[in-house]
Amino acid sequence: MPILEIKNLTKNFNDFKAVDNVSFSLEEGEILGFLGPNGAGKTTTIQMLLGVLSPTNGEIIFFGKNFKNHREDILEEINFSSTYTNLPGDLTVKEILTYTSFFYNIRDRKKRIGEIKGLFNLEPIFKQRVSELSAGQLSRVNLAKSFINFPRILLLDEPTSSLDPEVAKYIREFLLEERKKFKVSILITSHNMAEVQEVCDRVIFINHGRIIANDTPENLAKSIETSHIELLIKDGLKRTEQYCLENKIKCRIKGRYLNIDIEERKIPEFLEDLKIKKIFYDEISIQKPTLEDYFLETVSKTNKGKRHETA
Amino acid sequence: MKLHRIYGITLRYLYLFRHNIDKLVDIFYWPAIDLILWGITTLYIQSLETGFSQVVVMIVSGLIFWQVLWRGQIEITINILEEIWNKNLINIFATPLKFSEWVTSFIILGIIKLVVGFSFISSLAFLLYKVRIFTFGFYLLPFIFLLLMSGWCIGILVGALILRFGTRIQNLAWSLPWAISPFSAVFYPVSILPAWAQKTALFFPTSYIFEGMREVIFKGTMDAEKLIISFGLNLIYLALSLFVLRLSFNKILKKGLIKVY
Repeated sequence: MPILEIKNLTKNFNDFKAVDNVSFSLEEGEILGFLGPNGAGKTTTIQMLLGVLSPTNGEIIFFGKNFKNHREDILEEINFSSTYTNLPGDLTVKEILTYTSFFYNIRDRKKRIGEIKGLFNLEPIFKQRVSELSAGQLSRVNLAKSFINFPRILLLDEPTSSLDPEVAKYIREFLLEERKKFKVSILITSHNMAEVQEVCDRVIFINHGRIIANDTPENLAKSIETSHIELLIKDGLKRTEQYCLENKIKCRIKGRYLNIDIEERKIPEFLEDLKIKKIFYDEISIQKPTLEDYFLETVSKTNKGKRHETA
Repeated sequence: MKLHRIYGITLRYLYLFRHNIDKLVDIFYWPAIDLILWGITTLYIQSLETGFSQVVVMIVSGLIFWQVLWRGQIEITINILEEIWNKNLINIFATPLKFSEWVTSFIILGIIKLVVGFSFISSLAFLLYKVRIFTFGFYLLPFIFLLLMSGWCIGILVGALILRFGTRIQNLAWSLPWAISPFSAVFYPVSILPAWAQKTALFFPTSYIFEGMREVIFKGTMDAEKLIISFGLNLIYLALSLFVLRLSFNKILKKGLIKVY
């Protein structure tokens, strides 16, 4: 049974449909990426899951219980962190963790706060006011706060976006470790596609409030047919360019380098043709499509579709 | 309602009090300045008009009791504003904390700060003008409680309006209580108001409270009728203001304003 089930979730702001009949589920111990361009409906969905925004329609079921009727029980077992959320600037990190811990039914609050302090390396900033923290430190405190109640489900809205690469890497590893140890389920939004590909078991792609895709990051990336090839042409750069034009292959030339976007299945044929035309190259690198390629292509396609719809 | 959650949210506001000098200024500085200025002014008036021997007691006690209402009101409104200024509503309502627990914490804080503030200003009144508030007996206590209740009503109502319409109307936090003060007969009897204002004053529990308090102070008697009417009006207004606050909260949940706040 899924740990979280969303059925036909809809949010309208007057005539604007921010979330349009969205349904998906999250399994225990699963890390689910929730992707989409800005304004796609990701944060709106997360807010509805946290109960801070009322849905227009639809049902949210956590642990088999309807959110509407079991708000307190459910929020006791879930938590969230968002880079875009402020914390009271006048309070110290210790005070924020302390008062927040009282919102939950935690047995030994002092011990838990001590653990959190260690896990997120908060010792140097523990007695500092939030207003004195850098964006990265604030993100770390936000994340630390989200673990205070041993959550079974974590909703993370771009949790690493303002962290330096080293801390972001630590957080990714930490999330994977928590999942492994405690079977924590995580719904994560991020614009860092490499991060999503690294940590997520599955990805839901949303645009204009609608789910466009729901699959593993690998399968989504595979659904893009175009690969990217870079060649260092030794001899025959002009002829290669001509060849690309004739065969309607998108190409860019930079110095002796030729970059082309070509369907993966056509790569052998393309390389064979170069050989026949006696075009020689020194280096070749073939980049398979990534989740980022999928993201860009899908956003472009769905935006075009939306424009047609509104026209 | 869970006690640990009420404690948690109360703690959040008490921490604020620890760090924020403005809060200390609210409790000690302004009431002290009011008391000193008005006290000296009334002493001067008394020295000119020998017939008004009780004028100091009337003005000073009015000032002290106005502080009760003010403290009850401002505590609620400022704490709501604090959450909006800090954009912290999402952090507290994405937890199991209930709306009723949040409101309860305001009332607890109001009582704590009232005890501190009232003790301070009463002691200061005694030190400066030899006005002993409790020599008038414990008949005053129910009126003090009713004043606090009136403060809660205004505080909750103003908080609800700010939640609904945003910080562009935040000035109401400081101005609305003063708008009702002319009808509350803080420093004078209702009978000197113009006829229309006397009729308006009938709808304000504060007018019965201040009139009742003056009777306790000057005649040593307690008018039970005034006590009951003001209590009844307070109950109605408290229920109404809580209802309006809940409506405003539902509205921000519907409009997604918690993220903005």
